[in-house]
Amino acid sequence: MADTPVAPARSVEPAGPDQSSVRAGGFSERTLARLFIAPSIILMALVALFPVVYAFILSLNEYTRRQHVGFAGLQNYADALTDGRFWESLRFTLVFTVTSVGAEFLIGLGFALIMNQAFRGRGITRAAILIPWVIPTVIAAQMWFFMFNVTPGFINNVFGLGNFNWLGQQGWATFAVIFADVWKTSPFVALLLLAGLQTIPGDLYESAMTDGANALQRLWYITLPLLRPAILVALLFRTVEALRVYDLPQVMTGGAFNTESLSILVQQYVVRTPNPGYGAALSTLSFVIILGVGLVFVSMLGRQLVIGRTTER
Amino acid sequence: MRIRSAWLSLTAVAVLVAVACTPGGDDGGDEGETRQLVWAIGGAEAQPGGVHEQVAELWNEQNPDTPIRIELLPEEADQQREQQALELQAQGSGFDVLGVDVIWTGEYAENEWLESLEDVRGEIEGATLPGPFESATWGDELWVAPYNSNAGFLYYRTDLVDEPPTTWDELCEEAISVAEDEGINGFIGQGARYEGFVVNWLEYYWSAGGELYNEDQTQVAFDTELGVQATEFMADAMADGCYAPGFNTAQEEEARNEFQQGNVVFMRNWPYVHSLLEEDEEAPEFDIAPLPTFTGDGTISALGGFNNGVSAFSDNIDAAKEFVVWAATNEEAQTMLATEGSVPPTMASVYDDLADDPVMALLGDVLGEAKPRPPAPEWNEISVEMQRALFPAVNGEADIQSSVEAVRSHLETTVEQ
Repeated sequence: MADTPVAPARSVEPAGPDQSSVRAGGFSERTLARLFIAPSIILMALVALFPVVYAFILSLNEYTRRQHVGFAGLQNYADALTDGRFWESLRFTLVFTVTSVGAEFLIGLGFALIMNQAFRGRGITRAAILIPWVIPTVIAAQMWFFMFNVTPGFINNVFGLGNFNWLGQQGWATFAVIFADVWKTSPFVALLLLAGLQTIPGDLYESAMTDGANALQRLWYITLPLLRPAILVALLFRTVEALRVYDLPQVMTGGAFNTESLSILVQQYVVRTPNPGYGAALSTLSFVIILGVGLVFVSMLGRQLVIGRTTER
Repeated sequence: MRIRSAWLSLTAVAVLVAVACTPGGDDGGDEGETRQLVWAIGGAEAQPGGVHEQVAELWNEQNPDTPIRIELLPEEADQQREQQALELQAQGSGFDVLGVDVIWTGEYAENEWLESLEDVRGEIEGATLPGPFESATWGDELWVAPYNSNAGFLYYRTDLVDEPPTTWDELCEEAISVAEDEGINGFIGQGARYEGFVVNWLEYYWSAGGELYNEDQTQVAFDTELGVQATEFMADAMADGCYAPGFNTAQEEEARNEFQQGNVVFMRNWPYVHSLLEEDEEAPEFDIAPLPTFTGDGTISALGGFNNGVSAFSDNIDAAKEFVVWAATNEEAQTMLATEGSVPPTMASVYDDLADDPVMALLGDVLGEAKPRPPAPEWNEISVEMQRALFPAVNGEADIQSSVEAVRSHLETTVEQ
């Protein structure tokens, strides 16, 4: 939420306690601002907070399938934390997140640097790079299922691999899911990084070149430090999304061969074999994990925003 | 605030679904005195022009006072179940007649979503094949009226195989040798980790003589030795190339594609594939046979299909009950399923009249021997546990003996309650 633009003369000194110019109605500017923001805060709390709280309440109850049995205390959490399946899916989710976000960052950075250059056909290149991101994830997942699966086996045909069973064995199944995700979302990372790149003033590079800095030095000492906020935002978005991945593994492997993500597990207990208490406990656990990871990024980002000049999100 | 768990999106989906599936009971139904019955059923044949709609039209002609209309549910069985559950959990009267998959009977009965059909049991039992009838009961009580059935076939290439094999071992020997000569693959079924995998596994297990529960499903009758035999057969078939390489990621359609393109010698699949293969001029020459067993005697198949239940929250239980009994026992309606669609009927006498149709003739033989998966309330959990234990064992990633024992001990937890 960016502050409402104030007169340019004031913006040098950001809103401080000394600005308590009392209005006719008796509200200070600050109180008035809070009053105006209140409806949207309340709405957001209803939409975002209520389900979280409700899930937590559900998770304290015991169910036999859909029938409410009674209060369970923290039993559902104890069950989840001692269930090997929870740890297996957590492990896959973390492996998936770290590798896919890492690869997406490197490829996305490469794309962004290319898209930021001035060359003939730049418009077409930018559009082409963005195509995978535009395709809905379930469709991309189904597409990559057909590409990797033995039948019809497009990848095997193209590379002459015979009947290599990508989706039907440990390891390679994980690889295929991660590959599809990298293909799908690298453009998104590239887009965010490109926006960051375009805020870096060109004269910095010019003076660096005058001082004799080579391309690698310019990248390391100018581009990357100044791109930090954009990088953090991109990593935050991608990490949080990767941690709740559902559609790609669900469509490509159905969670077989150790590709069951936390969200698949939650979906199973909420929908397929309903046990609302246990399902809610699992989803609360994944919420806490995702919230924790998110907060780390947000705190890094917050510091960055105080130090840096960019307020671009 | 922008961090959300998957929970949130699930809630959003649930709300959307609830809105989307609140049916026209209120808006479309109040035409004078006669309120339309609503039949909540999904799948391809429930679409406009499909055979279920023709059955509904037939009923409407014969019973203009209590007309029925179809409330179309999604294609996927799991999603159909979820939509019905949303309505029934809220005790909504929007659905009068429910299309109930054979494996949901126990769950729906336990949730008290169904009106018991014990008072019309005699009428239905006399007309129905035993397998489908068993799938309509839970706890020795009739909960739904049988409507349509399903069973597995062995599809084989007549240009490569003279006589269909009668034992699993024979099938694999032939699959491997023919496949090697022809440079194609052997046998494909439903080997991906989903409900179909359990169906395929059970067909091996049952054909070895195994059972999951005793007659009235109060005790576990699981035989670990036969379970090991079935699992070992699958693991060997996987390792020695009897199964086509795509077996462990194949569902019905992947299997059909492989067979249709001439890439495999044998396939286990449902009857619907038959007409699709016949329509395709490029498809290889083929024929259908009963599934083999381990001993070579008889055949066994897992039973599929849908039954019709009467919602306990219906405003018009009597008319709904009349409809489900009619759909189970009316010869014209049941024949229509076979002739207008490729949906196997559940009424025994219909098969005598359809003896000329190769699919129906074979179904007539196979359905008599088909076994329902236990329609227990916890079937979904059992199925998931079986997938989790047996799938890695079949794929050579877990010890067979201990995996089969895990299935047994899970089954035991289901009867202790």
